[in-house]
Amino acid sequence: MSRRLTRLLLLLPVLAYTVFSAGPYLWTVMMSLRTTEEIYRSHYGLPIPAHWAKYATAWNEFGYATYFRNSTIVAVASVLIVTLIGSMAGFAFGRRRYHFPLREPLFLLIFLSIMFPPQIMLLSLFQILVQYHLFNSLAGLTLVYVVTELPLTIYLLRAFFAQIPTELEEAARIDGCSDWAMFWRVMFPMALPAVATTVILNFIYFWNEFLYAVVFITQQKIRTLPLAIQFLVSDQYQDIGMLATGLMIATLPVLVLYLFLSEWFVKGMTAGAIKG
Amino acid sequence: MVLYAAFTIYPVLVTFYNSLHTLRMDLGMLYEYVGLEHFREILTSDDVFWKAARNSLVWAIVAPLVDLPLAFVLALTLHARVPFARVFRTVWFTPVLMSYPVVGVIWLWVYNYDWGIANLVLRAVGLGSYAQAWLASPATALPALILVTTWMFAGFNMVVLLAAIHAIPADYLEAATVDGAGPWHRTVRIMIPLLRPTLVNLAILDFIGKMKQFALVWVMTRGGPMWGTETVATYVVKRAFEWKTLDLGYPSAIAVIWFVIIFGLSLLLTRVLQRREALEF
Repeated sequence: MSRRLTRLLLLLPVLAYTVFSAGPYLWTVMMSLRTTEEIYRSHYGLPIPAHWAKYATAWNEFGYATYFRNSTIVAVASVLIVTLIGSMAGFAFGRRRYHFPLREPLFLLIFLSIMFPPQIMLLSLFQILVQYHLFNSLAGLTLVYVVTELPLTIYLLRAFFAQIPTELEEAARIDGCSDWAMFWRVMFPMALPAVATTVILNFIYFWNEFLYAVVFITQQKIRTLPLAIQFLVSDQYQDIGMLATGLMIATLPVLVLYLFLSEWFVKGMTAGAIKG
Repeated sequence: MVLYAAFTIYPVLVTFYNSLHTLRMDLGMLYEYVGLEHFREILTSDDVFWKAARNSLVWAIVAPLVDLPLAFVLALTLHARVPFARVFRTVWFTPVLMSYPVVGVIWLWVYNYDWGIANLVLRAVGLGSYAQAWLASPATALPALILVTTWMFAGFNMVVLLAAIHAIPADYLEAATVDGAGPWHRTVRIMIPLLRPTLVNLAILDFIGKMKQFALVWVMTRGGPMWGTETVATYVVKRAFEWKTLDLGYPSAIAVIWFVIIFGLSLLLTRVLQRREALEF
C-alpha cells in the first residue's frame, strides 16, 4: 500500500516536469492552428475551430516552401556525402589491414578536431568560400556541413568497424573479394545499425544548424529554415499565429520521425554525447 | 579502391582543415601584419570582450550545475518504475531535437511581459509583483536564457544518465541493501561513484556547449540588453560582420584566445574530476 503511495508521490514531480517540458511546445501547436486575431483576444484559447488552412498559407505565401526545400537539399546532400566518406574512412581507419603512413597521427588529428569550437574555423571558412565563389550558395553550405561533421562520423564508425571480427574479413578474402567488394558487400551491410545512428545524428544537426547558415547565407531565396525563422521573427513579430505555424513546419518532420523511431533517435543523439 | 578513397580524400580534407587554421593575422582581405597587437588590445582594453567572456563562463559553469542534478533526479524517478516511464522519457527528450531559432521564438513568447507563460504562472500563484519583462533587464536576461538551455538539455542528460543507471549491475545495489544501506546511501555511495565517468562526460560536454553558445542569444536578445547576454561567440560574429572596421583579424584573434581557453579548461576539468576519482578509490 505504501509502495503505491510513494509511486503516486513520485508521479507529482514527474508530471510537473512534463508540463514544463511539453507546455511551451503544446502552446505553440495550439497557436499554430489559430489566427493572430484569435490569439490576441485570448492567448491560451483552444484551437476551435482549427484553421488548418494556415499551414497552406504559410507554405505558399510566406516562403516556407522554399525554405523547406533549401533545408531538405542541404541536409540530405550533406548526410549522403558524410555517410559515404565517413564510412569509407572509418573502415580504413578501423581495420588493422590497412597500414598507411601517418595513420595514427591522422586519426588523432581527426579526433581532436571533434572538439574544435566552430568559431575557430568560421572566419577562415568565410574567406575560403568567398575566394572560391561558394559564398551564398547551398553547395558551399553543404561543403561546410560535411567538413564539420565528418570527424565525429569517422570516429563513431571507426569504433564499429574495428569490432567486426577478422575471421569474416579472411573468409571474404578467400572467396576472392577485392577491397572494394569487401567494403560494400561485407562490411557496410554489417555496419548499417551504426551508420543509421550517425545518419540520424547528422541529419538533426544539419536540419537545425544556425551559426554557419547565418554567416554564409545572405540571400533570401536560399535561406534554410532556422535562418528564415530568425528573419521572420524580426520582420513579422506581430503575426504570432503565422509564426507559430511556421515553427510547426520547421519542427514537424523531425518530430514525426522521432515518434516512430524514438529509440533510434535517442541512440543517435546520445552517440554524439560520447565525444567530449 | 577503398584504400584509394582513404588516401586521396583524406589528405585533401586534412589540408583543407589545416588551411583553416593558419590565416590568423589578417586585416580584412588585405593582409597587414600587426603581430600580437590584437591580442594585446583584446586582453587589456576591450571591455565588451571581458563582459562576453564573463557571461559565457557563468553560463558554462551554471548550466551543468543545474542541468545535471535535475537530470539525475529525473532519471532516479523514472528508474523507480513510475508508470508510463517510456512516455515521459520520450516527451522530456523532445526539446533537444528542435533548432535554436525555434526554441528561441517559443521562449520569446514564454517571456512576453503581457501574456507570456512565465508571468502568467507568477500572477496565477499570487506572485504577480515578480512579473517582469525578463529579457529586458541585464540582471534577469542571462538567467532567463540559461533556463531555456536547461529546458532543452535536462531531458537529454536524463536519458544518458538513465541508460547508465540501468547498466549498473543489480547485484551491487542488492549487496548494499543486504549490508543495510538505505536508499539515500545507495544513491550517494554506490550510484554516484559508479556514474562518475558518465557525469564527468556530460558535465564537460555541457560546459563546452555553453562556452560556444551563439544561436539562442542571436535569436532571442542579440547580446542585449547592455551586453547583458553577449557571449564570446556572438561577439566574434558581431565584430566580424557588423562592426565598422570590417576587420576579420581582430575577431579571429578573439576566436583563438577563446579556443585556447576552452581547450585548457576542458583539459583541466577532465584532470581534476578524474583525479578526485583516483583519490577516492
